[in-house]
This record gives sequence, C-alpha cells and structure tokens, in this order.
Amino acid sequence: MAQKKCYGFVIDVSRCIDCRACLVACSAENKVGMKYTRIWVRDLGVKGEYPNLERTFVPYNCMHCENPPCTQVCVSGATYKDKETGLVLVDQEACIGCGFCVDACPYNARYLDRERGVVDKCTGCIQRLQVGQQPACVTTCVGKARLFGDFNDPASEVSVALKNARAIQRLDYELADGTHTEPNIYFINGDVMDPQVQPHEPTYSLAETSWKSLLIPAVLAGIGASFLGQATFFTKQLVEGEKEFEE
Amino acid sequence: MTNISRRNFLKISGAAAGAVMLGHFLPPPVAEAARLAGQIDADGDGYIPTLCEMCVWRCGVRAKIAKGKVVKLEGNPDQPHSQGRLCARGQSGLMTTYDPDRVLYPLVRVGQRGEGKFRRASWDEALDIVATKMQEIKDKYGPEAMIFSSTHNLSQVGFENLLNGFGSPNYGTQRSLCFNAMIVANLMTYGMEEPARDYSQLKYLILTGRNLTEAISTSETAAFVDAVARGVKVIYIDPRYTKTAAKSTEWLPIKPGTDLAFHLALLNVIIGEKLYNEKFVEEHTVGFDELAAEVAQYTPEWAAALTEIPADMIRCIAREFSEAAPYALAHNGWRTSNFVNSFQTQRAITILNAITGNWGVTLLPAAGEGGGGLGKPPQPPYPRISALRLDGVPWKYPFVPLKLGVFQQLRDSILEGKPYQARGWFISRQNPVQSLPDRNRTLEALGKMDFIVTVDVILNDTSWFADVVLPEASYLERYDPLLPVGNRIFLRQPVVEPQGEAKSALWIFKQLGERLGLSDFFQYEDEEDYLRQQLMPLGVTLEEIKTHGFIELPKKEGGLEYKWNTPSGKIELKSSTLEGAGYTAIPKWEAPPAAPDGQFHLLTGKVGQHTQMSTQNNQYLHKYQDEPRLWMNAQSAEKLGLKDWDLVEVTSEVGSVKLALQVTQAIRPDSVYMTPGFGKLSKGLTTAYGVGASDSVLHVTYTDPVSGGQALSQTCVTVKKA
Ligand code: SF4
Ligand code: SF4
Ligand code: SF4
Repeated sequence: MAQKKCYGFVIDVSRCIDCRACLVACSAENKVGMKYTRIWVRDLGVKGEYPNLERTFVPYNCMHCENPPCTQVCVSGATYKDKETGLVLVDQEACIGCGFCVDACPYNARYLDRERGVVDKCTGCIQRLQVGQQPACVTTCVGKARLFGDFNDPASEVSVALKNARAIQRLDYELADGTHTEPNIYFINGDVMDPQVQPHEPTYSLAETSWKSLLIPAVLAGIGASFLGQATFFTKQLVEGEKEFEE
Repeated sequence: MTNISRRNFLKISGAAAGAVMLGHFLPPPVAEAARLAGQIDADGDGYIPTLCEMCVWRCGVRAKIAKGKVVKLEGNPDQPHSQGRLCARGQSGLMTTYDPDRVLYPLVRVGQRGEGKFRRASWDEALDIVATKMQEIKDKYGPEAMIFSSTHNLSQVGFENLLNGFGSPNYGTQRSLCFNAMIVANLMTYGMEEPARDYSQLKYLILTGRNLTEAISTSETAAFVDAVARGVKVIYIDPRYTKTAAKSTEWLPIKPGTDLAFHLALLNVIIGEKLYNEKFVEEHTVGFDELAAEVAQYTPEWAAALTEIPADMIRCIAREFSEAAPYALAHNGWRTSNFVNSFQTQRAITILNAITGNWGVTLLPAAGEGGGGLGKPPQPPYPRISALRLDGVPWKYPFVPLKLGVFQQLRDSILEGKPYQARGWFISRQNPVQSLPDRNRTLEALGKMDFIVTVDVILNDTSWFADVVLPEASYLERYDPLLPVGNRIFLRQPVVEPQGEAKSALWIFKQLGERLGLSDFFQYEDEEDYLRQQLMPLGVTLEEIKTHGFIELPKKEGGLEYKWNTPSGKIELKSSTLEGAGYTAIPKWEAPPAAPDGQFHLLTGKVGQHTQMSTQNNQYLHKYQDEPRLWMNAQSAEKLGLKDWDLVEVTSEVGSVKLALQVTQAIRPDSVYMTPGFGKLSKGLTTAYGVGASDSVLHVTYTDPVSGGQALSQTCVTVKKA
C-alpha cells in the first residue's frame, strides 16, 4: 500500500509579486462565485517612512491543518480530513450550511456560499490532483511563489524547497485544548509574522457545539435524507442567525 | 462521521460548480476538428492550444475541454511567452468571452451620439451602411477623409489591406501613447526596433520605470523574479514605489522628468573612469569621442541636484554596472516618467548598454516577427496615395516610422481641419476616447465626424459614441493570421463558439472589402483558407498546426551575428540621421518643465490585473482589482489637510475629475498617481461603469518632436477636497 500522503503548500514569500493570477485561476478552475474567494494574497502594506520602504505579499488559502478545528465543530460530518491525501475537504451534499466551521477556522479560510447554502474553501484542486496536475494557483503562479506537494515524500518539490529554504515560518495556532492546528502551509524566505495574517481565536469552538451536535443529526435523521433541502433550512433556524463571513 | 467517498465529493462539487458558471460547448466543427487532431478523446476531454490576447504579449494557451466544454484556460508549456503560466488577465479570458455586456449583434445608433441608444441590425444591413458611408466620404472628399485606426494585433494585416486598399494614408495606432521614444531611439542607435533581453546570465539590472511585476509580460516577469531570487542586483528608478520597487535591491525615487540626467551621469562616470568596453566600442560603434566630450559635463554632482539621487549613489551604480558588464542590462522599457525628453533618455540607455558591451549576453538581436517564410493570399499593389497624413508623419515628424504614427496629432488635425478635414473614422479594437490625452478634445473630434464605426467585443467608451458597432468574435472564438516567434509559428484558433452573431476580423474586413470594390485584397474563402495560404510555402497543413498550436521550423545555424541597420552599419552613439536633420545627435540634457507651485506631477502606470483601457469590465479582474484611487504622499496629504479615502477633485489645465484619495508613503511628495482605464463613460459596461476616474480627462497633449511620443507624465494637477 502506498504511503499516506500529506499534501500541502510551500510559499516562497520573496517571490510573490501580488499579480493575482493565482486568485483568478482559482476562481476560474473552481467556478467560485463572484462574491467569494477561496484564496488570498495579503498585502502587508507599505512599511517604513518614505523613502525607506518595504512591502511583503503573503499568498495563502486553507492550511489543510494536521489538527483542523473546522472538522471538529462540523455537526453534519461534511467537513473532514481526507485520509488518503491529508487534504481538508467539505462534502457539500452533507453540508447544512450552518457555518460553524467558518467561525472555527483561525485563518478565515472558509466561506459560506449563501447562494448555494453550503460552505466552501480550498480543496487543493483535488480534481486536478487526481489526474496528475498541480492546483490551478500553483500551475499559473507567475512568480513561482507557490509550490504544492507531499510533505511525506522527501523528494517532492515542497520537501526539497523546505530543505533549501533560508527561513521557514508556519502560522501555527494553539487551540483551547492545548493542541495545535499544525498548518500545512509553510512560508519560506520572508517574514509573515505580522498581525494582519496571524491566526485568531476561533469565534466558535468545540465546546459550543455540544448540544447542537446531538440535536442537529437527530433533526436530520428525523426529516430524512431525501428532504435535505428542508433539513438544511430547518437546521439553519437552530443555529444563531445570519452572520457575515467576510475576509 | 458520515463517510463520503471522494468520487462522490467530486460529483457534488462539479454539480454545484455548474450553478455558478456553466462550461461552454465547443462549436461542432471545433469539436470535430479537435477530435480528429487527437486533442480531445471520445469523452470530449482534452486540451486545445491557442494564443492569449488579453494583452499584446501573446502567451500560449491550452484551453481545457471537459465533456466537450471549455472549462479553463492554462498556460502552454511549449510556448516561450507563457512557459506554462498565464497572468491574471490571461486566466480571466473566458470571462471576457462570456462578459454579460458582450455586443452580440451588429448595432446601429438610434439616439444622439453618446446617448447609448442602439438598435439591432442584421450583418447585411450593418455592413451595407458602413460601406455606403465610407464610399460616400471617399467620393465626396477623397479616401484620405476616412481615418482608420487599430492597435497592434494579429489581424492587423487584414486591417491594413482595408486601409491601404481604400487608399487612406490615415492610420492611427496607439504606439505614440506608449513606446515611440524607445522604438525610435533603438532605431537611431542600433537600427532595430527593440532588441530581445536575456535574463539567464544577468547579474546587474537597471530598471528605469520598467514596472515588470505590474506591467506583466508573463515570461519576462517570471525571468525577472527568478533573477531577483538568484540575487541579481536590481536598481529600480521610479518616482513611485511600485511592486517592482518592493522586489528590487534599491529603489531610487527620482524626480519626475530627470531620468535623462541620471543616465547621462552614468555615462559620465563610465567614460570618465574608462570603465567601458574598449574593444566593443572600437569594433561596433561610431561617435564615441563626441559622446565623451558631451557627457564630460554631466557629473554625478550635477545629476544629483536634478534627480535628487545622491552623487555617490550614481557613481557607485556606474561602477557596479560596468563591473558586472557584459552580464548587466539597462532595461529600456517604456514606462519612465514620460516627458518630451524621454527620447533622449532612451538614447542614453541604449548607449549605456552599447559602450559596456552587453550585446550578445543580455541584449540580443530581436527574433522579430519577420514572417517566418509564411505566404499570404495574392493581392494587387495598393493604390498610390498622395494625400498627407493627418498625424504629421513624415512631414512634421520625419523620424517616426509610418506604422507607429503620432496618434494625438491625428486627433488634433481633425479638430483643426488641417491640412484637410477628416469625415469618417473606422476604429477596430481600439479605444481612443480613453487612451488619447485630453478626453474632451477627443470627444470633440468624434463630434466632427460624419460617420464612426467600431469593431469591438463590448461597448467600450469609443463604441459608445459610434454610429455602427460591429461585434467581433473574442480571441477564444476565432482564427487570426499566424504568429511567428523565433523558429516557431503559432496559431490562434477558436476554442468556443462565437457568442451571438460575433464574427472574426478576417471575416468582417473581407465583407467590407467586397462591398467597397476591394475584393482583390481579400482573396480567401474563409479564415481557414487564409491560414492554408499562409502555410502553403512551408508545406505544412493546417491540421498539423492545429494539433500542437504551433509548428517548429529548423533553427538557424551559426553564432551571434552583429548587424546594425544604421547608415554607418555600426551602433551610432552619435546618430548621423539625427545630425543630418539638425537634431541633437548625441544625448544632451533637456530640462523638463517644473511643476508650478502647489501642483503635482500626474503619473500613470499599470496594475497587474488590467491591460490599458480594455479589461476593466472583466468580472474576474474586477473581483480582484484594487479600488482605483489617487495616490498621494502622506506628507503632502497632511499639508493639504486630506485624509485617506477623502473624495478629492483633481484638476489640470484641460480637465477635472473626482476620485477617492489613497494616502501612502509609496510616492514622491511632489507627484500623484492614477491607474488608467477607469472612469468609463459607457453605461454599456455594467461592471466597470462608475468605478474610479479617467486620467485621460486630465492629460495635456505634449508631443516629443523627434519620436512623436506623447509625454504622458508632463501634466501637472492641483488636488483639493471635493
Ligand atoms: S485552515 Fe481553517 S479551514 Fe483549513 S483546515 Fe485549518 S482550520 Fe480547517
Ligand atoms: S500568482 Fe504567484 S506571484 Fe502572483 S500573486 Fe499569486 S502567489 Fe503571488
Ligand atoms: S501576459 Fe497575460 S494577458 Fe498578456 S498574453 Fe500573457 S497571459 Fe495573456
């Protein structure tokens, strides 16, 4: 049996030029709605005093955490960490659109697609991966800042890049229970330790899901899977009202 | 936890995706051809190669086909301009084709010009109207009363046939608004338009306002980032701290209009300290002694006072540059702060590369688009044209190549009615209302026309004022004539069906030609026939080239050949052509006009998400663009009592606009900056309308007498709270 994979990204911060080809490529590949995005390039801003300036761009998307808080709060089981690839995915048929996972992610890497009533996020372009292609953002990256591959394979491009990096940073986050998210995006050759991209405390945590995690599956079972639409609607009444999930 | 297989997941996300934007079925002939060529399999999955046209760089594209539908565009790894990558604009291409604002049918104006009221017409009717009007103007006022304008594109040959066959000398390109200064400087110095640049061995780079990370040419931008990652020293001079500045070793916020002084001082040090390549100068150049005598006065101290770059820094750059030579390059890309002295700046840059001997290493003779041995349909000679060109070439601008022209002068001649009055304007894929300086004057010129026809995919600001709009097929929907690059010849071929009744330029020009009695200039059945005639001398079939998107011809053997197509046959440090005409033959300091008290230099430039005036309505690009605001240095804003996001009124000699302010450290205190292409007039652009303001409203028309280039940065403005 093939060894378990651990897919993730290496981002060479020194190479990102904020051209946003990756952003458009992601939207085009994954047909992301016009109001939403799965991927960001954070401009840390022009720093310093004229004329001694600096400016850094930080591309990111879902970190495909080793220990993802988003899967823990998912009451319908739609959000899961894929055993084979290590990617964190959303089964949109099972997603009830409650948005708990959106609030649980310390990286704001998810969004609730209101038109479709489901949560969406970076999938590592798994549809491309399956036919032997790299994610759309990586393939087109004009600065070659984005790399993707299997960290469990020492010969992969990402492992090699980490080995040769001048500096490595990871936006790890300690959760309430003392465990860490252990993100699978590594930033190399640049400083991303800036408050603008630091993970923040989840606004929704495992503790809060307790009663809902019992009630919602019960409601779902009661209504029956064939009435998923109603189920989604009904369960939405159970969760606290609408919220803005702005990046 | 529910257990969902990935297969299931994929099925679901695929279905959901469809709700946002459907894929697009291939037209049956395209699908059939693709299947025959082996590009798509029995399930209708695969790739069709073609060429991008979101800008003029022409990256190779592979359109991904799934179940017979185009679902995504990718960079073509086989093509040197893309090397497998597409920039944001290239990635957004399907959205240009499926823009909800596409012009789907021929339109004929029914309201007042500029009211935007059109009715749908059949192609026959629209073409008849256009041909009748053009013929009427020709019969009454002569063919020269019709102006034809279009910008560098692959179907330009067809356009030129229409224009030359019709017999008009009036050819408007947009080159004078962009890089006339660079091209004419290269012609005068090297006898070639633009040498190729090679970054592979580069060690030292001077970028004079060449904002490579925002004015993107995919392969060159990628080569630049690679060079930076390798540790190449990059000196970036620009009054603005661009994203390129952020990647460079040194950003020098030079005073606008003084790039020439900086380069003259580099020459002063390099010649004064004998740091140039004596052998190369001896063998390949003329006029060195005169050059040395001229630049002796341009000391770093002298330049420091003008440029506000310290003399020590200039001296250090000159020494480092010549030490790194021939692995050094002074890029003569075209976005310096653009003043009438830009031509001399460009000359100084070309000379800097020449005397340090960078030829053959970082600068190479351009592969050119020389035709690659391609054929073309037979045609008779063009009728003789005796009328003067309205743009003053060559009678007012003797050095400007005919195919570059002086577009802003063309517009002004329309207004003056001299040397004669123009009556009609045929505009293809061009938007002079936004690209020419002084929009009010351009609108006035349009008002003088008896007839205006545009060929376009959307109702851009110029089409908004047209009498007839002919809907062109987008670059993903049509064939264009072939493109030779080096020893390869590339093909643009349709990957989706044309929207509505859109047609290719080759078809439109032929139809008009036939109605104007010019059939002999359009001797092809259809687009494919045109391409077959092009391929005939090479013995290559259209089918072959369709499969891979290109064909490879044998490489020319032999090493680098130095051939300078100048009167002396050498690199002309002193230009005999300029001298003969009584112009400055050796770069000489020309002081730019200073900004009046209380005014700012108005700078414009590029962002990586847009191409000139043409892409602002693309929804994907709109989604990821920054709000276009007026940049102003924080110190200046404070003096004026202005805050970030304040609505400000920007006023020049010729116009005034309102837009939001961006207070930043990233620009000199004496300058402000605007991104061009916004502030649309056309309400037919529902995505872009109402966003930002147009810089062309503010730009004053200043023309460099030698190159005919518009001095785009020479305009000064006042800024106050709106
Ligand atoms: S980044 Fe957020 S969405 Fe992605 S796996 Fe981690 S917690 Fe989940
Ligand atoms: S494509 Fe690459 S270089 Fe461009 S913004 Fe994205 S990560 Fe940065
Ligand atoms: S640089 Fe971008 S827009 Fe221009 S041809 Fe290449 S992909 Fe297309």
